[in-house]
Amino acid sequence: MASPIADLSYRNYDGVLTDTRFRWWVIAKTQILMALKKRAIWVYAAFSGGYYALMMAVLFFFDQVAANTPPGRPNPMSQFLGRIIWKDQFIHGFSFGQMWFLAISLIIGAGAIANDNRANALLVYLSKPCDKKDYLFGRWFGTFLPLLVVSAIPSVFFYLYGAMSYREAGFISSDPWLLPKVLLVVTIGAAFQSSLVIGFSSMFNQGRMAGAVYAGLYFLTNFFTQLMLAAWMGVTERGQRAAEGPSRFISNLFYASIDGLNIGMAKGIFGSDGSPYLGIPSPVKSVPAPPLFITLVPIFLISVLMIYIAWRRIRPVEIVG
Amino acid sequence: MSVASIQNLVVQYGSFVALNNLSVDIPEGCTGLLGPNGAGKTTLLKTILGFVQPASGSASVLGFDIRTQGREIRQRIGLMPEQDCHIPGMSAVQFVAYAGELAGMPKEQALRRAHEVLEYCGLGEARYRNVETYSTGMKQRIKLAQALVHGPRLLLLDEPTNGLDPRGREEMLDLVRSVSHGKGLNVVISSHLLPDIERVADQVIVVMKGQLRVQGFIKDLKKIDGAPMDVELIEQSDRFVAAIKSKGATIEALAYSRYRVTTSKTPTETGHLVLAAARDAGVQVRGLIEAERSLEDAFLESIGAQAHGGFQL
Repeated sequence: MASPIADLSYRNYDGVLTDTRFRWWVIAKTQILMALKKRAIWVYAAFSGGYYALMMAVLFFFDQVAANTPPGRPNPMSQFLGRIIWKDQFIHGFSFGQMWFLAISLIIGAGAIANDNRANALLVYLSKPCDKKDYLFGRWFGTFLPLLVVSAIPSVFFYLYGAMSYREAGFISSDPWLLPKVLLVVTIGAAFQSSLVIGFSSMFNQGRMAGAVYAGLYFLTNFFTQLMLAAWMGVTERGQRAAEGPSRFISNLFYASIDGLNIGMAKGIFGSDGSPYLGIPSPVKSVPAPPLFITLVPIFLISVLMIYIAWRRIRPVEIVG
Repeated sequence: MSVASIQNLVVQYGSFVALNNLSVDIPEGCTGLLGPNGAGKTTLLKTILGFVQPASGSASVLGFDIRTQGREIRQRIGLMPEQDCHIPGMSAVQFVAYAGELAGMPKEQALRRAHEVLEYCGLGEARYRNVETYSTGMKQRIKLAQALVHGPRLLLLDEPTNGLDPRGREEMLDLVRSVSHGKGLNVVISSHLLPDIERVADQVIVVMKGQLRVQGFIKDLKKIDGAPMDVELIEQSDRFVAAIKSKGATIEALAYSRYRVTTSKTPTETGHLVLAAARDAGVQVRGLIEAERSLEDAFLESIGAQAHGGFQL
């Protein structure tokens, strides 16, 4: 109950009104702050860096074993370091995080426009000094920035750990451009994921429906790439060389999924076909990296298409004469 | 001084002309926007907001051009739309503060002002509840609060009493009347309900088929040609009728003991004539007022329609 001495009559606001530009940042900032309140995001963000955590644990383990190895015996750490390719660890880390990035993008982005469609929120946004560009970019950036941070932090942390601890083991000398490449990969990955989820979100009036359809497409295309992986392994075991004919075609199809495009893009940028997880020898061979343009062009085109769909779907109100 | 000036405005949706060479000045104060469905009321509001680009013509709102200065206009306008609208997942105070931030208010100011406006709109007790749990009446109030938060100079209200029960409607109209009188806030209210308009607005603009039909003060529109006077006697009196006729006036019996007297004189002179006739007839006058028609009749005349047992646009 209001205090009896409170003045509840209407008074006009005559304070500061800031520049009408940069309204997109208000939209993005609020979306991010609301997302951060969801506990699941923190859990998924922690899991998304799982591969790097595991790799650091393995490195720590070998360090301990090496410290207890009597002089003159083969050093297990040197043997382990001889087996691993540093840049491939970032491909594995990025690849491992894909599922978690999907989950985070669904939490942040699936309802971003869909729920606004349901609640007619666009009427609120567009009756303020914001336009479609502000709204769409704000929504996109509000999804992109958390995804970028979540994917970049473990990668950069692992890079710093490697650069400080394994410089002598060729961590930096094996690829001096490793850090820019890491940042480029996570940026493209986050931008792609954001564009997709925002595009799907704009097509529906329910965030759950948008998320379900996007996740459905994600897993469906993923299933296809698993079939291509099986086919590729079958072909290569029959003696075809990996870089030739049908084998090459099938290996490229392995990247024909949302997840695959991201991994293919990462392999292309790092310039590696990949190697076994954690440096542990495995009978499962890595699918060769596709040419970089084969992944970058679809990523770009699909992103533009999804943003275009969202742009077309955002309207202040239905037209009534 | 007008808050919006519209000159020869044409707005088309494909081949359909929604606003057809409309020219109108929206004056300061509270203005009612009337017209049947499809008349172009909503299109006019959308055009003012910059949602719709005109095919030709020009318009300025608060001195800003609608074609090139949409952001500046929207920063100074508050819109209370007809449809339910809110930002999902927010409490009322978050929603209204967010609306303030979107309009350009600094974060702290927006939050402080959100509390004030919610209190003013009667949602002080429910300000921490999620807007999605609100009743229809509360949703109408929160729409008004988000439109008011940044202190607009022009408030556009589209059917503000939609879906409200009688008490809620009364309260909403009181709120609208309160903000539109003596608070430096200009209001344009679009409504199907003429009593609502009559209660809160001082002037009306009637549009039909995308064109301006009538504009003016409600009290002027309700005036009847010839300035007749309505007289209420203590009881029906044939002697009064005879007396007034003998003085050269025409008289029409209305309900109960009321009569409408028409002369070719001024209202004051007619009043004197009525009192003289009453004295001659020996009957007591209970009331004497300048006759006026209802806003409904004025509106129907302006759009060239007839009332048939009630009014529904």
